[in-house]
Amino acid sequence: MTESAVKVDRLEKTLGSNRVLRGISFEARSGEIFGLLGPNGAGKTTTLRVICTLLAPDAGSVEVLGFDTRLAPREVRRRVGVVTAEIGVYPRLTARENIAYFAELSGGVDGEINGRVDAVLDRLDMRDFANQRAESLSSGQKQKVAIARAIVHDPPVLMFDEPTSNLDVLASREIREFMVEAKGRGKCVIFSTHVLHDAERLCDRVTIIHQGRVVASGTTSEVRGGYQDLEDSFLSLVEAAR
Amino acid sequence: MNSVGIVFMKEIREILRDRRTLMAIGLAALATPVVLFVISQVSTKTASQTYTVGYTGDIPSGLEILFSSTGLKLERIDDPATAAKQQVDIGIAFTSSGIDEYYDPTRQSAQIADVRLQTILSRYDAARIAATLQQKGVDPSVLDPLPVTVHPLSSPTKAAGNSFLSFFLPYILITMSLTGGLSAALDTSAGERERKTLESLLLTPAPRSHVLIGKILAVTAISLTAALAAIVSMLIALSQISFGGAQNGAFNVALSPLAAVVMVWLAVLLAASFSCLTIALGTLARNFRQGQAYATPLYFITIFPASIVLFIPDFNPNVAYYLIPILNAVLVLRDAITHDAVAWSALAVTSASLVLTGALCFYAALRLFTREALLVRS
Repeated sequence: MTESAVKVDRLEKTLGSNRVLRGISFEARSGEIFGLLGPNGAGKTTTLRVICTLLAPDAGSVEVLGFDTRLAPREVRRRVGVVTAEIGVYPRLTARENIAYFAELSGGVDGEINGRVDAVLDRLDMRDFANQRAESLSSGQKQKVAIARAIVHDPPVLMFDEPTSNLDVLASREIREFMVEAKGRGKCVIFSTHVLHDAERLCDRVTIIHQGRVVASGTTSEVRGGYQDLEDSFLSLVEAAR
Repeated sequence: MNSVGIVFMKEIREILRDRRTLMAIGLAALATPVVLFVISQVSTKTASQTYTVGYTGDIPSGLEILFSSTGLKLERIDDPATAAKQQVDIGIAFTSSGIDEYYDPTRQSAQIADVRLQTILSRYDAARIAATLQQKGVDPSVLDPLPVTVHPLSSPTKAAGNSFLSFFLPYILITMSLTGGLSAALDTSAGERERKTLESLLLTPAPRSHVLIGKILAVTAISLTAALAAIVSMLIALSQISFGGAQNGAFNVALSPLAAVVMVWLAVLLAASFSCLTIALGTLARNFRQGQAYATPLYFITIFPASIVLFIPDFNPNVAYYLIPILNAVLVLRDAITHDAVAWSALAVTSASLVLTGALCFYAALRLFTREALLVRS
């Protein structure tokens, strides 16, 4: 059995007066797409932010490839790439400069960084607009820049937080294809979404969270159970949790 | 290159492509010479302008020559009191018992004409008295038992120039150190949040303190460039412009090497402090606009001490006043310009005060930049 790339154990987090996570646990493995599912406000984004060290856990622990997020946050960040629904880019920098900036901040020598940027430009088919300022790019092209900057340091763990929510059909399909490709390259892909149709098609295993608690976990077919699709199962689980 | 340098270079590149910041620097560099040129023209015109004196009665012999040589034009009128309100600058009536003068103190031209008239009349009186005494065989020097010979220790025209510079230069230095980098500071803090790039930036392995230092250094560099560009353009303009008009002792204004060194040192400290402060305020804000609202009071806070030299030219406080940020920079710079000398204790206290202010602002910015609410609030 493949070893866990991300291990979340009884994670708790309160933001202000809102107890967002109430003991979340799951494990995501290398070479799989792991779905983190739940309605809006369930705690998916907070969970991902704790995993990538942007937030510190109040209780419980998170390990990424053996590194504890509290004890070795920089090591964790070196091994994680995150793509969010917010495709914010630096408008006055070109696509290439945007990517190179994040490559440089992730470490490495100058010659190596140029090679990495070129490789990711080729991989995402971005050569045509690489030297255009980001302010003139389309939403799909900006999303490619956002993906490129998240993967330019070749992280073994990739996290996608509602990546298709602001995109058109074509751009959404490219994101899905990219996740499948990353899985094929042995990456651990964590896909957070409330679009259950996408999750059912892509994910090997899923965890459904609701109001900061895990309500179901397992392979997609296990979680679907006797229902026709994941959406019916999800609605039933959420209803039961109320 | 370490992460501080990477962030610095990226910020500089973005700032140099930002029209708002470039326009602020360019306008500051251009506006200062234009303002100085206008001031020079006005001062020259005021000094060489001829003012009209309306009069009735008979002019005492010889007095009209003094009038024309002092830039006063005589014009016969019917009623000096009425004419002095608008028709002429001052009105006088020559009577058998003396002179009645009418002028409106609310008119600047009347005030200047009055000063010139008083000068003429005192000279005329002195000359008439001296002539009368000589006719009677008395030495006129009896009227001046304690004659005074003035020995200025520096050139009066240079002192006038220094006085002008001691107000204008600190004012420009402080306002440009603040405003020159303000747009860049808000763009790199509140703007980063508004553009939704902050989360991705904080996801990199670079320590947040390094990211913040890189941003502060970039904004400091821009503030410093803006302040020095405005001052250099001002000094170039001043070297080409003379003030006061030829007949009243025209003067050019120039900065001494000592004052220049002090100015650059203070500019570095001010720019660094303002950068930390404005980035802290920008980090507190959710977007650029909110950041501007937070930064607006800074204009008033900084302009007040910068103007103190104008309102209280002889303000000579004890060394404790040099602990007050901004005011201390104004005073040190004023002293360096006016006296061409630096009180080292005052400079040391000023430097320590500004470094401490910058450090506190940096600490505040770092606290704000490393808190979880930075992401959660957005």
